[in-house]
Amino acid sequence: MKLLEHEARGIFEKAGIPHPRGFLIHSPGELKARIGELGERCVLKAQVDVGGRGKSGGILVADKKNAEQMAAELFKKEIKGVPVREILVVEYLEIAQEYYASIAIDRSTKQALILFTDQGGVDIETLARERPDAVRKASIPLLMHDIPPFMIRDLLQSAPKEIGKILNQLYRVFCEKDALLAEINPLVQTPSGIYAADAKLIIDDNALARQGISYNRDLTEREREAEKHGFSYVELKGEIGVIGNGAGLTMATLDLIEYYEGRAANFLDVGGGADQERVMHAVRLVASDPSVRVIVVNLLGGITRCDEVAKGIISAGIQQPVIVRLAGTNEAEGRKILDGCGYRMMESMEQAVKAAVEAVR
Amino acid sequence: MIYGDRNTGVIVTGATGKQGAFHIALMNEYARQVGGKGVVAGVTPGKAGQEVAGVPVYNSIRDALKEHDADASVLFVPGFAAGDSIMEAASAGLSLVVAITEHIPVQDTMKAISYARIHECSVIGPNCPGLLSPGEIKMGIMPVHLSSAGHVGVISRSGTLTYEIVDQLTRAGLGQSTIVGIGGDPVIGQTFADVLTRFEQDEKTRVVVILGEVGGSLEEEGARATDLPVAAYIAGISAPPEKRMGHAGAIIEGGEGDARSKIARLEKIGVPVASRPSEIPRLIKELL
Repeated sequence: MKLLEHEARGIFEKAGIPHPRGFLIHSPGELKARIGELGERCVLKAQVDVGGRGKSGGILVADKKNAEQMAAELFKKEIKGVPVREILVVEYLEIAQEYYASIAIDRSTKQALILFTDQGGVDIETLARERPDAVRKASIPLLMHDIPPFMIRDLLQSAPKEIGKILNQLYRVFCEKDALLAEINPLVQTPSGIYAADAKLIIDDNALARQGISYNRDLTEREREAEKHGFSYVELKGEIGVIGNGAGLTMATLDLIEYYEGRAANFLDVGGGADQERVMHAVRLVASDPSVRVIVVNLLGGITRCDEVAKGIISAGIQQPVIVRLAGTNEAEGRKILDGCGYRMMESMEQAVKAAVEAVR
Repeated sequence: MIYGDRNTGVIVTGATGKQGAFHIALMNEYARQVGGKGVVAGVTPGKAGQEVAGVPVYNSIRDALKEHDADASVLFVPGFAAGDSIMEAASAGLSLVVAITEHIPVQDTMKAISYARIHECSVIGPNCPGLLSPGEIKMGIMPVHLSSAGHVGVISRSGTLTYEIVDQLTRAGLGQSTIVGIGGDPVIGQTFADVLTRFEQDEKTRVVVILGEVGGSLEEEGARATDLPVAAYIAGISAPPEKRMGHAGAIIEGGEGDARSKIARLEKIGVPVASRPSEIPRLIKELL
């Protein structure tokens, strides 16, 4: 789950990372009372979780005099469809030099990857593509408590030494918060010191519970309903509902629908060990989408038992036809239960998908 | 067979849960069929003295090893405890951990894999179905009746998609040497490259099927490094673009994770890629 800037900033602050003075407001009135804390100019930053926030008008520079008026206008706006409910107001910084620092999970080395560049202020992805040497990298095994000094020297080279301390503070946050990404973009040099001018933190969804986060904001209402039952669910634009077990098989089912020129209405992976009740909820959830005209259930039992699945499909009691392909643990029992209730059982995934595509033609 | 054979003793961690008990019974049913050692002990802290599916339960892997010979552990513990269980197995001297568990916090996985490497213990998974060498051993949850013994090695990031392909290989008369589900998480222990290295040293394996997914570049890294003939299927060509992990994610992966570019890179290094699962048997026959 991605944290909002002000949430990440609060965590960075506790770790000791220096940042510009500022405060969060929920209405323009709050700004009036506190604007005196920030000097002649300030920056208004809409707290919305969208990419390209600055380019979409979510970040504004204001003078002391017009700040309240500009905040009022920003509160009325939507940034890429997201209403502005909170604004982070920070002091305006005189920037002499911009840096970029991040720590992320690297699949191929199975370690954390620290990225640093002193060529900040440009699009960092373009820089990495066009001048790979300008973005310096260091891999660190998570068994390390600190970033060793040699790595800091390699990363910083001629950049100010005090950034080394900030990198270590960022690493501490990355580890303690179960982050997938901790990023400062930009980290800025000003006449009065170095500050994190932005803060980004993505927390591992599998670690939300132990981080004390009970509610995953990144999900839509329907996806949250799906998550409650332990499904991963994505809504798509077609009319063939899809239920599979395992992300790979479910994805392959969608790919096969596309191959036969059909259109899938959703991706729903019931996960491992789906029992009767979960399968029933999955079938009902998919069927509740009005664009779904037929449902393909493609399940191979490993940790999932076919007899449980069959009972789940039947107890869902939905209107749309269900085309079933079942194989694996307790397959014979599952087949017997479905046969007895008149469901269409297919021998292969290919047959099941073809039948579904034909059914909506 | 790679990673183990019928003489390999297995300890199941998380033995007393519903899934643990169910799959100990299935693993030992298979061991009886092939004359193997199978699961010799179960481990659940605080449950010593119990018995699950005819297997004695101990408080720790060290305790179990005092009474039984074992080389590998298969995990059915919940996500929050799985990193710890991997490290316990590595520390006790087991050479292989098969982590079936899903929803492990990724930093736990990374730490456990680093720790296991220090103890020269290989980790398969997490979030995987384990492995099956037909006629020799099953460590995990793969349904055995779809498989048959033969010369095709199978490596997969998926669980159920693996069963699908194995079923089709068997129906086409193409038996399997070993089927390894390496797991669907962003960070996993044994990768395509690691398993291919084992297959190269395995006299039974003549050709390998790689079953990949969108995300990362482990498929092509593995295929590039091996001398064995390889065919592939990549799931996710119709998938909406993955949620991006900010700038850092894009820089690390270089925008290379999507299915189409992955398929293009595999074909460029001479790996035939099936456009649907049912084409795999034909591609394998052409390679043999």
